[in-house]
Amino acid sequence: MTLLEIKNLKQHFPISKGFLSEKKYVKAVDGVSFTLNKGETLGIVGESGCGKSSLGRSILRLAEPTSGEIKFKGQDILKFNRKQMKNIRKDMQIVFQDPYASLNPRSTIRSILEAPLKIHGIGNREERMKLIESLVEKIGIRKDQLDNYPHEFSGGQRQRIGIARALTLNPDLIIADEPVSALDVSVQSQVLNLFVELQKEFNLSYIFISHDLSVVQHISDRVAVMYLGKIVELAHVDQLYQNPLHPYTKSLLSALPIPDPSQKRERIILEGDLPSPINPPTGCAFHTRCPVATSDCRTETPALREKQFGHWAACIYV
Amino acid sequence: MLLQVQNLQLSLKRAGKFISILDDVSFQVQKGETLGIVGESGCGKSMTALSIMRLLPDKAKLAGEVKVGSEVISKLSKKKLEKIRGNQISMIFQDPLTSLNPLHTVGKQIEEALILHTNLTKKERKDRVVELLKEVGLPRAEEMVKEYPHQLSGGMRQRIMIAIAMACRPQLLICDEPTTALDVTVQAQILELMNKLKQENDMGIIMITHDLGVVAEVCNRVMVMYAGKVVEEAEVNELFQRPRHPYTIGLLEAIPRVGERKRTLGSIPGTVPSPQNLPIGCRFADRCKDAMEICRQAQPKTLQLTDDHRVACWLYDERREDLKDDITRNQESKTTLSH
Ligand SMILES: Nc1ncnc2c1ncn2[C@@H]1O[C@H](COP(=O)(O)OP(=O)(O)OP(=O)(O)O)[C@@H](O)[C@H]1O
Ligand SMILES: Nc1ncnc2c1ncn2[C@@H]1O[C@H](COP(=O)(O)OP(=O)(O)OP(=O)(O)O)[C@@H](O)[C@H]1O
Ligand SMILES: [Mg+2]
Ligand SMILES: [Mg+2]
Repeated sequence: MTLLEIKNLKQHFPISKGFLSEKKYVKAVDGVSFTLNKGETLGIVGESGCGKSSLGRSILRLAEPTSGEIKFKGQDILKFNRKQMKNIRKDMQIVFQDPYASLNPRSTIRSILEAPLKIHGIGNREERMKLIESLVEKIGIRKDQLDNYPHEFSGGQRQRIGIARALTLNPDLIIADEPVSALDVSVQSQVLNLFVELQKEFNLSYIFISHDLSVVQHISDRVAVMYLGKIVELAHVDQLYQNPLHPYTKSLLSALPIPDPSQKRERIILEGDLPSPINPPTGCAFHTRCPVATSDCRTETPALREKQFGHWAACIYV
Repeated sequence: MLLQVQNLQLSLKRAGKFISILDDVSFQVQKGETLGIVGESGCGKSMTALSIMRLLPDKAKLAGEVKVGSEVISKLSKKKLEKIRGNQISMIFQDPLTSLNPLHTVGKQIEEALILHTNLTKKERKDRVVELLKEVGLPRAEEMVKEYPHQLSGGMRQRIMIAIAMACRPQLLICDEPTTALDVTVQAQILELMNKLKQENDMGIIMITHDLGVVAEVCNRVMVMYAGKVVEEAEVNELFQRPRHPYTIGLLEAIPRVGERKRTLGSIPGTVPSPQNLPIGCRFADRCKDAMEICRQAQPKTLQLTDDHRVACWLYDERREDLKDDITRNQESKTTLSH
């Protein structure tokens, strides 16, 4: 069952460069479309600045999208007014990268977790406490720690509290933006396990944003690869990792260091860095770094097409 | 042997009290070899590197011996050490933006290293700067000399840092998380560059990282640290195939791997003890699933299992049964004394 449908979503940030010159835009999200099913995890990968966070934030309308369509449970939420939006936000939550910055240092864990329930006027105090206590138990925090402050917890615990906060309103969708990037591997694995367990228990859908290709592979059912604001490839996770079609995905995967010294691989080393999103290259935006680009790639903009069953790629040579 | 580090002990002052940050850290690096140092955040990786360079915070107490070639540099005066820094040993820091001076051109910053450590003439230095930029794979080297750090991308800045570190052809390059702030595609470029430079110059490299993937790709040997101590060291294949210390085993089981989707990952319960609050026994005992009585009572000795594998863990110490009685007796006498 489709939970979320995104069509041609754009998020263009205006940047002023002196008031006489023409207005320029950072095309952070530039025509993104995908669907997400109930209980499914869609991973979003790509290099720094490719628009992953902007995409996540515009889906929740934390930054108003420039254009496009966001259908959540069949409703076009871009047409929603504030009140309708407040209501629907209960069902779509976000977990951020930084477990330190995203929890108010002056609030106890109890009041941090109670806040969303209060805002939405859910239950009386006693009912809310009951819910919170059962919730923290699931994330491996003891009830007697509820009156502690964020700084009394480790990074991994804080991130679990962030997840618990997202869960208080019993959402259908959680957008997790680099939720394990600030954590050490031993703690990262605890948090990843928690994501998987909670998904099974509550049939949650995730949009899981990360620059870490192994983490995304671990957690996702399908994966979208972004480059300069666009999805360049989208497929079931096994297809994407075993049979990548787009040259960008291929080089990204070949650059991933594998924690097994007995496995030696051929590397496709890309030249240069990500071009500026203010003046993206013409045609296929990847052509400046693509090892197999031709002159056609400079002029022709490839559309994201289904090249194999359920396997989409945006490259004129695939 | 290029570098020999013996029994490093480091204490730093925090809130008026000295606390132990490194305890009995010993290791060696050979020419043409890359030694990886891994471990959780706060375990002392950066402090180990900074102790070798003696670039420590004020009020640091450092003991132990650091030898480069046959010269004991831990005894040298600050001034003599300065000559060695940058000349024989160079260091690359994690954050390339904060370690470059934003007010000076790229060319000037590389030239400064040359002024400090060589007798080249002005003209020779100019040529060498361009040569170095080309060596680290930067395009338009002639123009880049005149540019400022903020005009460059993260990957380019890290290449500049490498160019500065390489300016005097060091024998040993210490890299503290050199690619952590970079994207994988750029990381791959930088790691390849470092490998190339290592081979061309027969350098030794110390690679500090928390990424076991990076370790597997570029290191010959790996040293695992936990709470200021070395818990295991082995040749890289040996370490990944036959990890011995429960901490190393835990780390390796915690990483998500290709082809094991949504499997429950191994995890290590609990957190690292703080340096103010270290246990008397093995520092990992509280989180260790194999912990025995003795682990909480006494620190394990480092055992040389084979030529290229050492571990500090009671599980592998055959003397642990005999020692048990000694230790209990010892502790009893200690408590009697303190009363
Ligand atoms: N509010 C904003 N105003 C102007 N530009 C913005 C704004 N937010 C993001 N951008 C720009 O949009 C582009 C995409 O940024 P975004 O944060 O979405 O990337 P990302 O893929 O999440 O990167 P990272 O992996 O570093 O988190 C970048 O070039 C960024 O500088
Ligand atoms: N200036 C300082 N004064 C006192 N203690 C410090 C100082 N700098 C670091 N420490 C402490 O020394 C210990 C070792 O820190 P170090 O920076 O070496 O860790 P690390 O292994 O490099 O961690 P990371 O992976 O986060 O870089 C930590 O407990 C840290 O809190
Ligand atoms: Mg982001
Ligand atoms: Mg460090």
